[in-house]
Amino acid sequence: MKDTEVTAELVTPGDVLGNATELKAGKGAYLNDTTIYASLTGTRRILPPLPESLDQRATVEVTGHKAHGPVPEPGSLVIARVTKVMARMAAADILCVGPKAVCEKFAGIIRQQDVRATEIDKVDMHLSFRPGDIVRALVLSLGDARAYYLSTAKNELGVVSAESAAGETMVPISWTEMQCPLSSQTEPRKVAKVGS
Amino acid sequence: MEQCYLPYIPRPDDHVLGIVVDSRSDNFWVDIKGPQIALLPNLVFEGGTRRNIPKFEVGTLLYVRVVKTNTGMNPDLSCTDASGKAAAFGPLRDGFMFETSTGLSRMLLSSPTCPVLEALGKKLSFEIATGLNGRVWVNAAAPRSVIIVANAIMNSKSLSGTQKRIMVEKLLAKISD
Repeated sequence: MKDTEVTAELVTPGDVLGNATELKAGKGAYLNDTTIYASLTGTRRILPPLPESLDQRATVEVTGHKAHGPVPEPGSLVIARVTKVMARMAAADILCVGPKAVCEKFAGIIRQQDVRATEIDKVDMHLSFRPGDIVRALVLSLGDARAYYLSTAKNELGVVSAESAAGETMVPISWTEMQCPLSSQTEPRKVAKVGS
Repeated sequence: MEQCYLPYIPRPDDHVLGIVVDSRSDNFWVDIKGPQIALLPNLVFEGGTRRNIPKFEVGTLLYVRVVKTNTGMNPDLSCTDASGKAAAFGPLRDGFMFETSTGLSRMLLSSPTCPVLEALGKKLSFEIATGLNGRVWVNAAAPRSVIIVANAIMNSKSLSGTQKRIMVEKLLAKISD
C-alpha cells in the first residue's frame, strides 16, 4: 500500500522546497544548483518514489489552483464565446467544459469545414457566427499550439445565445436565423437546436 | 459644408490606396487608413495562381478595391475588378504619395473633372491615382511636375472653383520661367 504524504503547506514561486540530494523536482518545481525551488503558487506535496526505479528519491511537486480546473479533451462538449470571425475560420474562447467553467484561458478555432455537415465549401463564416456569440461546440482535437479545433457540425451544436446589432438577446427562428425582439430584424447564424 | 474631416470607413467597391504592412501565408495585411487592417488574399490578381504569388515588401503602395466589409471582420481587398481583370489595380511604382482628407479625395474623383486637375492637365502631363481613403499618388517625368501637382491639390482644399483655377495658374506661371 502506498502512502502519499500530504503536507498542506502553501508555497509561492521561489520558495525553497528541499535539497536535490533528498528530493527530485516534480511538477511546479525546478532545480537550480542543488536546491529545489517552487515555480507555482500552491500546496507542496511529496510523492514517494516508485519501488522499481533506480533513483530512490521522493518527488516534490506543487499543485497550483488551476490544476483542478477542467481541461478540454477531444470529444468533450464545450461552451465558447466567439472572439473573431475571419474568412475561413472563427476564433473562440472556451468558457466551460461540460458543466464546469474553466480556470484558465483555452483558445478554440472553428474552421470553415467544421461549421456544418452539409455543403461545407459554401459556408460563409459571417453568416454563421459574429463576434460575441456564445456557441456550443465539440472538441475535435488538440489542434495546433495556438488553439483547440472545435466543430459545430451537428444539429445541437452552434450558436446558443447571441446579441443583435440593437444589443438585445435574439430569439432563434430556424437553424439559420435569429430574430431581435426589439427591432424584429433577423440575423443569420448557425443556430443550435436546443430542446428534446 | 463638405465632409472634409471624417475618418475613412471602408465600403464595398471603394477604390483605395493601401500600404502593405505584413505578408502572411495566404494574405497580405494592408493598411487602408480604416478602423481595421484589411486583408488582400495572395491570389486575387489577374492570372494569379499558387505559382506566381507577387512578393510585396512591407511599405509597398497598392491601388486596390474593397470587396467585402462585414461588421466585426477585417475588410477584404482585391487587385482585380469584378470581372477578374487587372484594370490599373496593383502596386504603384515611383511617384509621390501624400495624404489628404476624404472630402478632398472625393472632389478629385468627381465628374466633371475637378477644376484643379483640369487646369494642371493643360500644361503638365502626369499620372494620378486617388484613393477614397484620402491617399493620393502622383507621378510625372520631371520631379518638378510632381511637386507642382501635389502642392496644387493640397492648396485647393477650401477654395472655390474660380479660386482654384487662379491658384493653379499662379503656380504654373512660376515654373514656366
